[in-house]
Amino acid sequence: MTVTDLVKTCTFYEILVGMKATMTVFIQRIILRTRPPVTFQYPHEKRDLPGGYRGMIALLKYDDGTEKCVGCDLCEAACPSRVITVVSAEVEGEPMKRYAKTYSMDMTRCLFCGLCVDACPVDALAMTKEFAWAKYNKRDLLLDKPQLLALGDRNFPEREKKLEFQHPNVATFNIGHKTLPAKVS
Amino acid sequence: MELLVFTGAAVVKIAVVMITVLLTVAVLTLAERKILSWMQDRMGPMEVGPYGILQPIADGIKLFFKEDIVPSGANRFLFSLAPIISLVPAFIGFAVVPYGPNVEIELFGVTIKPFIITDINIGILYVLAFASIGAYGVILGGWASNNKYSLLGGLRAAAQVISYELNVGLAIIGVIILSGSLSLMTIAEKQAGGLLNWNIIGMGHGEGIWWWVPVTQVIAFVVYVISVIAETNRLPFDLPEADSELVAGWMTEYSGMRFAFFFMAEYANMILVSCIASVLFLGGYHAPYPGTILSGIGAYFEGVAWFTVKVYGFLFLFFWIRATLPRLRYDQLMRFGWKVMLPLALANIVVTSIAVYLLR
Repeated sequence: MTVTDLVKTCTFYEILVGMKATMTVFIQRIILRTRPPVTFQYPHEKRDLPGGYRGMIALLKYDDGTEKCVGCDLCEAACPSRVITVVSAEVEGEPMKRYAKTYSMDMTRCLFCGLCVDACPVDALAMTKEFAWAKYNKRDLLLDKPQLLALGDRNFPEREKKLEFQHPNVATFNIGHKTLPAKVS
Repeated sequence: MELLVFTGAAVVKIAVVMITVLLTVAVLTLAERKILSWMQDRMGPMEVGPYGILQPIADGIKLFFKEDIVPSGANRFLFSLAPIISLVPAFIGFAVVPYGPNVEIELFGVTIKPFIITDINIGILYVLAFASIGAYGVILGGWASNNKYSLLGGLRAAAQVISYELNVGLAIIGVIILSGSLSLMTIAEKQAGGLLNWNIIGMGHGEGIWWWVPVTQVIAFVVYVISVIAETNRLPFDLPEADSELVAGWMTEYSGMRFAFFFMAEYANMILVSCIASVLFLGGYHAPYPGTILSGIGAYFEGVAWFTVKVYGFLFLFFWIRATLPRLRYDQLMRFGWKVMLPLALANIVVTSIAVYLLR
């Protein structure tokens, strides 16, 4: 132990250096006002969420108000937590066209992985930026089709255009709109 | 009639001091959170009232209406007694603290000192004695909870308080030698005449031409500060309630008003040791310049104001240290107490005694 070390130990030098650091922050924060706080006052100011944020899942509609979902069950097959239950049915009198007769999600189990959104061939599912969904009753998290559609209406006011040459009677679950050929006019 | 006046004056003084102390406790709970957060780039409580200034009231209401739980297997009597044993000695020490100059008022033939509740001639001993009783509250509370964390916290508190109370007692002996009195009022009065005559510098004790020789008590002051931080269980010596090891230590099983009692006792103890420190080492109600600027009644207010400034400065030091330092390990705490603080305090007594013998 050198003399310098001894003097430093006896005068609590290291502790005083630490106390200077906290005091510097204090003065900058309160007296000089040059240092903003890192706190986010959450309920009053909300953070900008990134574009790929995976929040509550919603069902979407086309711009004419018809549902995008064709009842193909691929989301149910893709879901690792068995959140989604789809009961598919034929449209009356139109044997080629199918729709989801019931579509329910048990959000208590959902882990927001987004696999259902990836699996959907017609882009009928989307993830919103809603996350504050704490409920007093667990059953409020069992969402049915109207609730999921309402979520979609609320979060995606701009609906996708329904393609003109898409015959209303054709189930198009194996051709997503991204892979469609450009329209020839 | 005399008895009535005497009692009435005492009750009024006690009420004023109690209300002041309780208000200061409320202010401190907020001030601690605010100062800590400012030192850590945060904001602290911001919800209740503008900038969170009504937070102590909200906390008080919450604690008052919380469920009062006694764990099964706890010793009900001691479990209820422990918070009271903690709180009463913390408040009772304020009876001998001088808040202002030593003036006497004649009222219906009774002599009343308005700035001290009772000026007993063993004031500092009285404070130390009650501070030790306060430690029983912690130990009994830890034992009576029937919880291993509480018991460990209580045991740690017992060991820590015994180790560090010794150092507090030895650190103030130097001041007592200089003042020749145990009365806090006399100790404060002897430090009149500006910054250099405060016991932390300690000039003015020599005869004749040797008046300038400083019998400095700065080592005693450092020992005192470190030891009272340990004695009031504040960081970095908060081993009895080490959150990360013992849940909340001896307070684990307490809830509602009983927890509030412990909480208030901790803050009242902080205020008490700050008052004692400013009286013993920092000149009490004396300004750092000789005499007073104002005269008459104004001089009294000046004295009280300086006392308040010193006490709050000392309390700020508590928060500042808490914001800076992490918790010590248990063996470090014990080694520091017995191998560093105790010899320093003893050496201080010896040096002060020799200096005073040579100078007088």
